[in-house]
Amino acid sequence: MRIKNKGYHICFAIIVVLLILAPLLLSAGVITSSSFILFLGKCIAFSIVAIGLDLIWGYTGILSLGHGLYFALGGYAMAMFLKLQTTNGRIVSFMQTGGMTELPAVWRPFLHMGPAMVLVILGPAVLSGVIGFFIFRNRIKGVYFSIISQALTWAAYSLFTGLQSYTGGNVGITEITSLLGSIKGDANRGKMFLLFYISVAILVLIYILSSFLTQTKFGKLLIAIRDGENRTYFSGYCVSRYKNFVYVLSAVFAAIAGAIFVNFNGSITPAQMTISYSITMVIWVAVGGRGTLVGAVLGAFLINLCDYNFSSGTMVEIWQYILGAIFVVTILFFKGGLVGIVRDQLPVWMKKVTRKEAE
Amino acid sequence: MANENVLEIKDITVDFDGFCALLRVNVNVRRHSIHFFIGPNGAGKTTLLDIICAKTAPTSGVCMFYPEGRKPVKLTGMKEYKIVGEGIGRKFQVPSVFVNLSVMDNMILSLKGNKGVLQSVFFRLSKEEEEQINEVLRTIDLLDKKDEKAGSLAHGQKQWLEIGMQLVQKPEIIMLDEPAAGMGKPETFKSGEILKKIKETCTILVVEHDMEFVKQISDKVTVLHEGKVLIEGTCDEVLADQTVQAVYLGRGGERNAED
Repeated sequence: MRIKNKGYHICFAIIVVLLILAPLLLSAGVITSSSFILFLGKCIAFSIVAIGLDLIWGYTGILSLGHGLYFALGGYAMAMFLKLQTTNGRIVSFMQTGGMTELPAVWRPFLHMGPAMVLVILGPAVLSGVIGFFIFRNRIKGVYFSIISQALTWAAYSLFTGLQSYTGGNVGITEITSLLGSIKGDANRGKMFLLFYISVAILVLIYILSSFLTQTKFGKLLIAIRDGENRTYFSGYCVSRYKNFVYVLSAVFAAIAGAIFVNFNGSITPAQMTISYSITMVIWVAVGGRGTLVGAVLGAFLINLCDYNFSSGTMVEIWQYILGAIFVVTILFFKGGLVGIVRDQLPVWMKKVTRKEAE
Repeated sequence: MANENVLEIKDITVDFDGFCALLRVNVNVRRHSIHFFIGPNGAGKTTLLDIICAKTAPTSGVCMFYPEGRKPVKLTGMKEYKIVGEGIGRKFQVPSVFVNLSVMDNMILSLKGNKGVLQSVFFRLSKEEEEQINEVLRTIDLLDKKDEKAGSLAHGQKQWLEIGMQLVQKPEIIMLDEPAAGMGKPETFKSGEILKKIKETCTILVVEHDMEFVKQISDKVTVLHEGKVLIEGTCDEVLADQTVQAVYLGRGGERNAED
């Protein structure tokens, strides 16, 4: 058990080293486009959501199809602050279009960095806490939970597109700079690298926190809930409280990820709140390997790397079908995802091959 | 005078939309005894256990629990995980251990103690607790399988592990739903011996079909039939009863005993 985990950590460490090297490679000219670094920055955000999703789905067995909601909420909170930075606290153009003359009350807390950063985390945490409280206390689980999580995301999507003068509607909040100011162009390359390394550090912290949690009795309980919820109740645990805790935790991870995403992306739109976006997140975790944290991180990077390369050029039309096919094959034949293939299937194949050679 | 009964089931009726699973059932369970519930399928045995541990809510009636040296507790209406905390453990019919965790982890999760979220995050296994777990593992004969995944155990061993998981909670009552199901004769006998040892520290409620097993260890037997108590007494008294032979032993009982 111990040794296996060591393998996972080494694998994660390799990913981190590659990430740290990426900006240096850009400086050295190996990577030619600086937008690739921005893309990797977004991938870091995606892998943070994936870790959260893995905790709730891979470990606890609760399939949430609505984590895009918390990702987008974190993103919007960050974007609201950043937007007000660019307008110097003045009213945003889409509000004027909506007929407003002064900054609405919901935007006021985002004038200053402190309250804004607190709200990035607190907003999604409170929302998921309240939703989770009612869902889990009433012992709603399995596919019913998944459907509710989807419906909530859909409701939030409608709300955000509908309240145009508050949220920018379909367009979302655009033309924003990062927390460190503009990161576009060669002159701002230093800032971009700094932002990138801060994001890597956050990813590492979240990975360490999560793997600590999975090592404790708490982590074992998550697995216990997944494998035998009833038994866990009759071992004296208030299962709904544990589920709610892990739900809030994963929502907070998603919100942090959303906030990082906005910094690299320069905008947030309701597209991040669509159901298909939430399901894509689940695909990352499934393909990488649920039940192992490194699997989630790996999946987020690999799928998005493919997406980055294939969503332009000749593959663009069939890429979505390929992605769907990968997901289906993973669910049907490789429950452990890529990590599972390396850990479970590969040794079996190796044995078969060596046995054949011996014959 | 201290109450000799550890559990009193008073006038319990369970009505599943017109189907009466239990009808005005009264049973008293003596402290430190092995109390069997037998009866044909559908007699309401499992439902009765479900009532005690609050898996099912009764239509009417109450269950009173008299813990040693503490105030009586009314079990009806309590949350199931709180009942576990009061000292009543339950083993299910299908062995339900945590298959992806090691035998040791299964035991650790079952330990008595605070079961809040934060307590679990900062939990450290103490020396005494480890000793206690080893002691129980020795009793159920699984000490050398400590680090194996529970899913890899044989069927009988899973049954024992689940019993062991109840024991580390230091319960006053443990309820076992068909602990000998799917076990061979030697394994069943061994289970019986394990239960006799356990009896010294707690009270055991068993639902079982295997009459050999009942004869081996029972102190008292309650026969249920169509949701009602048919007769109650020692194993021999019950077996000698004409009605019991007619409704139960004449049919499924003999066949089961031969298995």
